[in-house]
Amino acid sequence: MPAVTETPRTRRVTASRRSSPPARGARYFVREGIEGVKRNGLMSVAAATVTMVTLLALGVALVVADSLGQLAQSLERKVQVVVYLREGLGAGDLAVIRDRLERLPGVTGVTYVSKDEALAQFQTTVGARVNLRDLLPSNPLPASFILGVDDPARVRALAAAARALPQVEGARAGAEAVDRLVEVTRVIRLAGTAATVGLALVAMLIIVTTIRLTVFARREEIEIMRLVGATAWFIRWPFVVEGAITGIGGALAALLVVGGAYAWLVWGARAASPWVPLLAPEQVALALTWKLLLWGLLIGVLGSLLAVRRHLHL
Amino acid sequence: MIQDWPRGAGAAAAPAMVEFEQVSKIYPTGIEVLREVSFRIEPDEFVFVVGPTGTGKSTLMKMVYREETPSSGRVLVAGRDVTRLPARQVPLLRRRVGVVFQDFKLLPRKTAWENVAFALEVTGTHPSEVEGRVQEVLDVVGLAPRSGALPGELSAGEQQRVSIARALVHRPPLLLADEPTGNLDPDTSWDIVQLLSRINVQGTTVVVTTHDKMIVDILRKRVIALEGGEIVRDQPRGLYAGGH
Repeated sequence: MPAVTETPRTRRVTASRRSSPPARGARYFVREGIEGVKRNGLMSVAAATVTMVTLLALGVALVVADSLGQLAQSLERKVQVVVYLREGLGAGDLAVIRDRLERLPGVTGVTYVSKDEALAQFQTTVGARVNLRDLLPSNPLPASFILGVDDPARVRALAAAARALPQVEGARAGAEAVDRLVEVTRVIRLAGTAATVGLALVAMLIIVTTIRLTVFARREEIEIMRLVGATAWFIRWPFVVEGAITGIGGALAALLVVGGAYAWLVWGARAASPWVPLLAPEQVALALTWKLLLWGLLIGVLGSLLAVRRHLHL
Repeated sequence: MIQDWPRGAGAAAAPAMVEFEQVSKIYPTGIEVLREVSFRIEPDEFVFVVGPTGTGKSTLMKMVYREETPSSGRVLVAGRDVTRLPARQVPLLRRRVGVVFQDFKLLPRKTAWENVAFALEVTGTHPSEVEGRVQEVLDVVGLAPRSGALPGELSAGEQQRVSIARALVHRPPLLLADEPTGNLDPDTSWDIVQLLSRINVQGTTVVVTTHDKMIVDILRKRVIALEGGEIVRDQPRGLYAGGH
């Protein structure tokens, strides 16, 4: 057939015009991602549920830590240092001590509390049923100076400095309770994060398994996509979308549970004791929402990327 | 990206469409499928690669679209060494090399039309381009009237036509058909081979592996015969079994 080689090409090789695949494929990725979630039915629900449990742990830890943090802050604002004085100081001694206390850095105010005033305050605390003056042979409470402090971080240093002054019996930083609270908050945050990370690994494993099912269900399609020249990322995207949908689904469920429970708790607490400094649900909601959604997305996407790496051989 | 594809027969300096240079393939199990295989296929050629099953015909084809890489030697497609092609450029190579298989590899839940369009959609072709291109290749393979049928509703020959249409939809300069008639009866096989021949005439280089003696002997195209992983014969206007 000599004519064959001389026939001019009718279908010349031309570079086809293509728009960028990511923009072009977005709808396809989402459609296939949703399809994957539906195809895996119960398995997707299981994956989303484990993600939800994971994020419940995170959500509870966040809410508790935020509330305690709030409590610590409100206490910190009332921080003061109490400087107890020796017995029998005269007005001159008091003036000297007051002067030196006022000059300590960070002190915003110095208030004198006499022995009698201290006893009166204590009497108020115990209530009218017991008369302390009748009960005690003499007033055991020392006179004191109460220092206002501009920065809670300074109270320890100030207490130490006050203790070093002559005629001072001792000094107590009011921040110790706050310190403990801050410590507890820190531990809760840490424990919550640790639990979240541990559970997140479990959630990711289940997402990996779920995505593997999709990879298996779509293996013919994937083979053909490779053969006709689809890029690796074009093939991967639907799986990533599926993981993201699962993760966000879990996050939304967790959000409903944690948010609902907290709102219910706060309304209950407010009715019972209005003075408890709890954060309003709407104050918690925003931070909680984006943190949980972000974590859900992270778990879902990382899970699917792991699955794609392990089970999608491109 | 692979550019500068050969501009057709006759251009003296043009690179070969496919060139194997001393290609060997030894699998980790120690089995040697190809041994020092060298040949050139020029643009617009129609070539049969023949030989008994297990002589490395499929491995040879897979090396052209980089599904396999040689243990040693070079495989050049349009002058470009595809064994050294970065992974991210492999998809671009595959859009320029159409592949047809014995088992058609059609998606059972997509119609003939959708199966062909799929190849365009997953490579990011603009939707406005898809319809015309699919119509065009379905016309070429003569399957336009059956475009709404699912693969299960088509005969084996029709399914192979769909798969050929899909291989052509990127307008590749090179078409590889690995045992395209392996699942077909003699009459249908002959139809498919004539279709491939027509596609070749219209300007596509076509490489067909087969162990179908009848079609090779009737068509009298170039024959590369493999046996035990080596080329035992490379003959223009050849026969399946050699001779004249």
